[in-house]
Amino acid sequence: MAPSENLAPAGRANTGNGGGAPNGVEKQQRCQFNEVVLRNRLTALLVDGNRFCRTIEQGLLRAYGVETLAVDNGRAAVELIASGVKFNLIVIDMLLPILNGLEATRQIRAMGVRCKMLGVTACSYEREREAFLAAGVDVFIEKPLSPEILVPILRELDGQ
Amino acid sequence: MRQSFFDEEILDRQFIQLEKLEDRENPNFVEEVLTLYFRDSTTLLATIEREMENVPIDFPKVDRILHQLKGSSASIGANKVRNEITKTRELWQQGNREGAKATFQEARKEHDTLKAKLEPYFQQLRQAGPAETAMRPR
Repeated sequence: MAPSENLAPAGRANTGNGGGAPNGVEKQQRCQFNEVVLRNRLTALLVDGNRFCRTIEQGLLRAYGVETLAVDNGRAAVELIASGVKFNLIVIDMLLPILNGLEATRQIRAMGVRCKMLGVTACSYEREREAFLAAGVDVFIEKPLSPEILVPILRELDGQ
Repeated sequence: MRQSFFDEEILDRQFIQLEKLEDRENPNFVEEVLTLYFRDSTTLLATIEREMENVPIDFPKVDRILHQLKGSSASIGANKVRNEITKTRELWQQGNREGAKATFQEARKEHDTLKAKLEPYFQQLRQAGPAETAMRPR
């Protein structure tokens, strides 16, 4: 299945004032959100079967200036990685259609991919956490994906 | 009105994070996301209710849908809905069908309460216009 959304330009910031900030300020603020300024271009692959969750997580990543591509199943994610596309970050849900998140993660890691992988899922049981970590994600996150969790990870990827 | 959502713990701070994603390019992001949520959740709730009464019951299917609904509810900060869905799922996984059904009805009530409270809130925001939205406490 083709990716459901294309890479987009760096995300926009929230000025919060609805006022007429000059374009130059807005452009700078485009890479700022909750006091994180990325010095490097970061890319992320988002793998979630739920369109709604993809919308929110993609919005959050883009707000930090991360260029994000989203797919809605595990097989599409594996095929995309196998085609040679590289990402700094992969955010993957556990329950996915066609190919589940555990197996997709294993296959991605088996290809030699060493980028940061976040297993973000609604599951919260210890056995599920252990299974996801054993499959190869670096961090297990119970939804929602929040700035408190994401910011340190983005800073690390950005070399800050 | 907005503060009451947090005081009553109907919404949690994840909702505030969604509000922060609004800007001039996406001034109605929250309302659009919530519309999408309620469109999905209404269907999922109906499916769960139907599947719980099916004979034979497809336990993994109900579990998957509960998982999906938990995730989307958590993503918008629907605190009480998420909590009731979590309890429902736990009971369901324990094989306690009747307990799960009862808890599911609580989840349904919380969902309907949330929808009933948010609709007039967004109506009020639309009537007030961008200035009111901009002044909304973060």
